[in-house]
Amino acid sequence: MALLEVRNLVKHFPVEQGVLMSRVGAHVKAVDDVSFTVESGETVGLVGESGCGKSTTGRCIIRLIEATSGEIAFDGQDVLTLRGKALKEFRRQVQIIFQDPYASLNPRMTIGEIVSEPLKVHGVGTSGEQRKRVQELLDVVGLNPEHINRYPHEFSGGQRQRIGIARALALQPKLIVCDEPVSALDVSIQAQVVNLLDDLQDQFGLTYLFIAHDLSVIRHISDRIVVMYLGKIVETGGWKELYDAPQHPYTQSLLSAVPVPDPEKQRARERIILEGDVPSPIDPPTGCRFHTRCPIAQFPICAEQDPELREVAPGQRAACHFAKPFPIPPELRRSTVIGEGEGGAEGAAEAV
Amino acid sequence: MTPEHLNWDHDKDPDMIPLDAGGHPSRQSESGDHITASAGHIDVGEISTSSRTLWGDAWYRLRRNKLALVALVWIVFMILLAVTADLWVPQTLGDPIVLPQDTAAAKLLPPSADHPFGTDKLGREIVSRIIYGARVSLSVGVLAVSISLVIGLIFGGLAAYYGGLWDTLIMRTADVFFAFPYVLFAITLIAVLGPSYRNVFIAIGILGWPSIARVFRSSILSVKENEYVDAARAVGASDLRIMFRHILPNSIAPIVVYTTMSIGSAILSEAALSFLGMGVQPPTPSWGGMLSDARAFLFSAPHMMLFPGIAILTTVLAFVLMGDGLRDALDVKMKD
Amino acid sequence: MSKLLEVTDLRTHFFTRDGVVKAVDGVSFSLDYGQTLAIVGESGSGKSVTAMSIMGLIPDPPGKIVEGDILFKGDSMLAMEPAEVRKLRGDRIAMIFQDPMTSLNPVYRVGHQIGESLRIHRGMTKREAFDRAVELLDLVGIPNPRERAKDYPHQFSGGMRQRAMIAMALSCDPDILIADEPTTALDVTIQAQILELMIELQDRTGTAIIMITHDLGVVADMADDVMVMYAGKPVEFGTADEVFYKPLHPYTWGLLDSLPRHDVSEKGTLEPIQGQPPSLIRVPRGCSFHPRCPYARVKCVKEVPELVPVEGGHASGCHFSVDPSFRKGEAAVCREVV
Repeated sequence: MALLEVRNLVKHFPVEQGVLMSRVGAHVKAVDDVSFTVESGETVGLVGESGCGKSTTGRCIIRLIEATSGEIAFDGQDVLTLRGKALKEFRRQVQIIFQDPYASLNPRMTIGEIVSEPLKVHGVGTSGEQRKRVQELLDVVGLNPEHINRYPHEFSGGQRQRIGIARALALQPKLIVCDEPVSALDVSIQAQVVNLLDDLQDQFGLTYLFIAHDLSVIRHISDRIVVMYLGKIVETGGWKELYDAPQHPYTQSLLSAVPVPDPEKQRARERIILEGDVPSPIDPPTGCRFHTRCPIAQFPICAEQDPELREVAPGQRAACHFAKPFPIPPELRRSTVIGEGEGGAEGAAEAV
Repeated sequence: MTPEHLNWDHDKDPDMIPLDAGGHPSRQSESGDHITASAGHIDVGEISTSSRTLWGDAWYRLRRNKLALVALVWIVFMILLAVTADLWVPQTLGDPIVLPQDTAAAKLLPPSADHPFGTDKLGREIVSRIIYGARVSLSVGVLAVSISLVIGLIFGGLAAYYGGLWDTLIMRTADVFFAFPYVLFAITLIAVLGPSYRNVFIAIGILGWPSIARVFRSSILSVKENEYVDAARAVGASDLRIMFRHILPNSIAPIVVYTTMSIGSAILSEAALSFLGMGVQPPTPSWGGMLSDARAFLFSAPHMMLFPGIAILTTVLAFVLMGDGLRDALDVKMKD
Repeated sequence: MSKLLEVTDLRTHFFTRDGVVKAVDGVSFSLDYGQTLAIVGESGSGKSVTAMSIMGLIPDPPGKIVEGDILFKGDSMLAMEPAEVRKLRGDRIAMIFQDPMTSLNPVYRVGHQIGESLRIHRGMTKREAFDRAVELLDLVGIPNPRERAKDYPHQFSGGMRQRAMIAMALSCDPDILIADEPTTALDVTIQAQILELMIELQDRTGTAIIMITHDLGVVADMADDVMVMYAGKPVEFGTADEVFYKPLHPYTWGLLDSLPRHDVSEKGTLEPIQGQPPSLIRVPRGCSFHPRCPYARVKCVKEVPELVPVEGGHASGCHFSVDPSFRKGEAAVCREVV
């Protein structure tokens, strides 16, 4: 049995209009019929561009926002109907790490108070034991346990993120939802935090749902990956299959759009430049939601029929009528040769 | 390894140590080691300096704001004068209420060594009346704002916490208060209650709550959006805990600032009402009342107008500057 | 002939209550037509302040250019009258910012804003400027430009706003375009569009670009030359190939090893740089990278290294780069200082 099972999750936010009286009119279809599973001990990456619903999905799972419909089962237990004590018990087992290391720590509480809050709320141990546990946790995430009485503003972004991680670990949860935990950090610090999360997973047998927009980070940390676009899953699969042979044109475009830190490869690379912007989730396109930007869309089928997520290879599923490895043919890809016709590019490298 | 290893201590000479066998002091390769080993590496010198609480930090920043400091000194000075007045003012400077024996000779004297601020139309010492007036002004200011604060915090908190109908009801009521001209509203209230010291601060206090409710409500609403509130909910913290541990401590800074400034404007309102005869009744000295008395002698005895005017101006200004200074000092984001 | 832009030993310091922040402390480089220079670094490295210094947009107080010079076509921009600098800014040197949401004024129509610098610098009439704005919007790939020019910024999406910003920056055919993290706030597919657009426009107009970014992928995509900055100082300068394939400075090595890659078939291990970036008020003495450097020796604590050419134009600000055996993957890790 999977540790976490999400079935047909839907979250629609009402759009408030009017000044005097708030009238409910349109809805933002943030998450629309999303299903996936997370096995115990693995890391599932949830990736997509802004507005694809990945964060909303994560927050529905930990019950920070209430889902509109669907089912979420954690350890076989129905999460969405939990109330009172049972909900509190669920919160012991599922934790979250936030994106913003500045907004996610209460500036008026000390590090000790922040990390011990979960212990206090759940009445774990005496205050002496709690203090000891906090110091252990700080040590585990690579902070000096003596800093227990300091305030968040005395720490840098990377260190604050470690504090957030210590808080999430305090109750020894089974599942941690990591909501863009490294996107606000500098490259060198990002690698520290990614390694820390990796190590903690080995050490404590954690399961991660890792939400991010950075495809390189997602690939590095995930065992399986779920790609979302406009509130729907477009493709899922093991990290290797998904990156080596993406079967949905959106996945393929997304991967080809990420610049690679290698100038020669970058020059030789073919990429797919998608036209236009992501449509509004208030009024998403009919049929396949990607058809308005898809380089291989065929009409009328793509605009009329919503493709279902189907198995396209062992362990890999894609929601596309024309899914196949590298669905976008080479003639539709563009290779940009930079440096061409730019005289002096080499010679101008002047010593300073 | 200890945290000191990477401190940027500019004064100490770096020690030299023999190399590790692996020669890799800062990158332990085993993942288990990595965690504990890294404990020694992410601390920087900055953090090793003394820890300051946020309030301590705010005080530190306030102290560096000269203008706010001058304002604070002025306010404290006025308070001291007002509190200790009974002990020394009547004896040394002259009684503020009881008329002097030779009224005719003492009337409308300009400032001099014997009469530092001059005397008024009844021969009373203006300096004494100013000091006693400070009692009225400051106490009305503080009491009125306390009333506004209690009502405003309750209503603002209810509106922000429950939202929906409560919010609409309370905030629309506040809008109704805002819609009336302030002084007219106050005069009407006092006309109903009857002019007296107590009724002045009650009226000003009642009229002041909507602004405080509004500031408090928006402050709570913006703090509510912070992820640390979500984090507390995710941990399973109760609504009460979230309110008192997370939302309130972070919402009060704007209230502290606004309250300080409100005292200034309450003092101004009191002066205005007393000037109109709707405030503290004679013979109790109040700055607004003194100004009112001075109207007839604007040209013949300008000092009667001057000193109460200066007293109002400086005191109100001091509260406003103080509020300004507090705003900068309490702003967490202002940290360099 | 003098270079298009020459920056020599630029030092921009901020005098704050807590001390002097040496945001830029000794930056030199030069730039020619059609060339793209990428300035890479993490937050606090001084890359944005470098750009603001060139634009003459350093708030004074607390900021001040305390040393060095900025030569535009041989003329010192620091010696110019403010009016002359204003004439250059927006006309010969244009800038695009990170946040397309806040860099357009919400109360003016997009076409009006794009035409603004044409009216100021070229003395065009409203009508002419608007027509030119429409052409520019078309150039940066906005569909129905004549209609869209009449829209307000909030009617544009993030990617379209950044396109409008580029149109605005290009309106006077600038010689230099400074792009400060132009794609950081955008999604990858939009980033790809914008980078492609910038490359295309550069091919067409020959504008020199200074690209300020923390993203080494963007650097590899755009740059001819790369300057890596750390704590206000350049630590490495070279062509993109030199910096990516034969990096000289241990900080650059660290950056490259910190990056997860999606273009290699197996997952590598990430080798982060230990520690935190320094506070610019109390920059470590000697080499500012020494507290985090796995190769730091006594000399690194005692002496500030200079940025010196090592191979051709490829320069490094590390004491040991002149030693040909001190190279990425070859250098023996030997931290003498603790």
